[in-house]
Amino acid sequence: MSKEEIFEELANAVINCKADLSKAAAEKVLAEGINPVDAINEGLVKGMNVIGDKYAAHQIYLPQVLVAAHAMYAGLDLLLPAIPKEDLADAKKAATAVVEGDVHDIGKNIVKTMLTAGGYIVNDLGKDVAPSKIAETVKGEGIDILCLSTLMTPTMDNMKNTIDLLKEQGTRGNCTVTIGGPPTSPSFAEEIGADHRDNNAQDCVNWLKGQ
Amino acid sequence: MVAPMTPYERAIATLNNEPVDEYAAYPLVCGLQRRLLPGTVTYKQWATDSNLCAQSYIEGFNKWKFPFTVTLEDLSVTAHDLGANVRMDKENTPFVDGHIIHDMEDYDKIQAPDVTQGRTGHLIRMNHKVVEGLKDKSFVIAFLEGPLLTLSQSAGAERLFMDMFTDPAPVHRALEQTTKMCCDAVDKIAEAGVQGMCWDYLWGNYTVLGDKEYAEFEGDKYAKATNEATRRNGLGLGIHNCADMPHLDTQINKFGVDVYSLAYYPLAEASPNMTKVIEDGYADKCTIFGNIDPQMFMRNTYEQVYETTMNLCQEAKTALCKRGLNTHFCVSSGCEVPPDLECHIDNVTAVMDAVHKFGAGQ
Ligand code: B12
Repeated sequence: MSKEEIFEELANAVINCKADLSKAAAEKVLAEGINPVDAINEGLVKGMNVIGDKYAAHQIYLPQVLVAAHAMYAGLDLLLPAIPKEDLADAKKAATAVVEGDVHDIGKNIVKTMLTAGGYIVNDLGKDVAPSKIAETVKGEGIDILCLSTLMTPTMDNMKNTIDLLKEQGTRGNCTVTIGGPPTSPSFAEEIGADHRDNNAQDCVNWLKGQ
Repeated sequence: MVAPMTPYERAIATLNNEPVDEYAAYPLVCGLQRRLLPGTVTYKQWATDSNLCAQSYIEGFNKWKFPFTVTLEDLSVTAHDLGANVRMDKENTPFVDGHIIHDMEDYDKIQAPDVTQGRTGHLIRMNHKVVEGLKDKSFVIAFLEGPLLTLSQSAGAERLFMDMFTDPAPVHRALEQTTKMCCDAVDKIAEAGVQGMCWDYLWGNYTVLGDKEYAEFEGDKYAKATNEATRRNGLGLGIHNCADMPHLDTQINKFGVDVYSLAYYPLAEASPNMTKVIEDGYADKCTIFGNIDPQMFMRNTYEQVYETTMNLCQEAKTALCKRGLNTHFCVSSGCEVPPDLECHIDNVTAVMDAVHKFGAGQ
């Protein structure tokens, strides 16, 4: 089987939401000694992008996106550890979190998936996360990109509190902060000192790539 | 010119698309009203003491003379009774922080509980007391999570959506039970003497489910049963859906509702505003509640809320006129007015003041 055929298997496994096929194709990548980074980019990510585009066009809906993401992670779980350390040196580190007081995490999880598909190493801190925990992670792990999400008005202030903490601890300058969620707006992002606000995960990753 | 009406007369006229003295207005104020009670009542007390909770709705009516009263607590009530863990902070809306579905077998453990106990029982008692206080003064509509929301709150939304796709049979069996629970609840709530029942069917949302998925997992069978139970009890049928892309055709036209409450998200491209909803004919057969942005009550001033309400009245008036409708419209907030301590109670007054001034109907 050629490299290209294996990549296609990976992409199709994601598009068809088949975690077992994704895993099997990833095993082939390893067995054939194919570069795992190529397999991720030409296979899994390609598949996930097809899913992302179809979701944005309302051709498929959230259940399918979630199951496709699950298939992507099944392949990634095998391929990521196989990437030589030096190849990862350039990869940027991102963190995602829904700020404290808010448990709406579906949108954030899509952001996490698209960032992963975009080649970022993502540390997902989950939902209802305290500003102090986010700030500690940014500092402790040298996070390059921080993606904060909230869907609720009362918790928007915790985005500001988080950014204030980053400034206090002197890490704001090293980290690009993007925010999202329906109550936020570009002017709110500006007001609290974030770098960017986006409507959706896919566009945000595109914006980050352009930076 | 229509002669001055009582709030209740205004509600009835609105529901019947008859001319009104001024548009009905009901921002969805719920937990916020605890602040109208004497002394300091925390959110936790409000959410667990049916007397206090009911009294707050009565105080809300006394202050603002609402034609409608929608008795919403929060969205964790039914899931709590199914065994989900609910976090109740002193001053925060209770929310689910521990789900009950950990593997596929757990779906079959879901059994409709006795709705007269637990939080649902509390909600039923609260409705009794609200009706005692507001009968013939305000049109009382009870509020409850629908079958799919009850299950997503119990299972965790993402887990449920994946299971819907990969192994739907156990999910359907669990939905049979949540539907039974909802139907039992509406039978009991009806005994309280409420006049309407508003279901939260929030997953009828094109950012989450398509027509096919929504039909399979709520619309065709489960919501059909809860809607029928509502009708069988002689209640008006309401739906609240604060989604950015609500399934209007299904939920308004197919379900045949009397009242539909919806939100508007200016930043979400496909989110329909009031003009569009009315002009597209959705208010022809039901009363549309909407859709001042709830966050305005927290973040904006009295003047800004007043102006927004004025604009909404004018926008709706033009659209209703084009459709040849008298009313079928109620100024509302799209979703709950934030119950936070920092939310400006005065902004609810701003809505009512603006409607008195600019809401004169046809
Ligand atoms: C589903 C839902 C729920 C579910 C959440 C399940 C879950 N696991 O997430 C449940 C039922 C649990 C829930 C609970 C509540 N909810 Co709710 N909920 C919604 C609803 C209908 C849809 C949200 C959703 O998942 N959309 C689908 C996802 C895919 O979209 P999304 O999150 O917006 O994400 C996209 C973009 O925004 C963006 N994005 C998101 N984050 C980020 C971050 C970055 C960095 C970027 C770039 C982009 C980005 O990318 C995503 C797609 O690409 C919204 C209304 C709405 N339409 O938004 C209300 C809404 C968010 N809920 C609301 C409320 C009030 C509540 C409750 C308080 C209700 C109650 N009274 O009990 C509780 C909250 C408890 C708590 N403390 O958190 C309000 C918030 C109001 C406000 N402005 O404060 C809303 C807006 C409804 C309304 N109009 O009032 N809710």
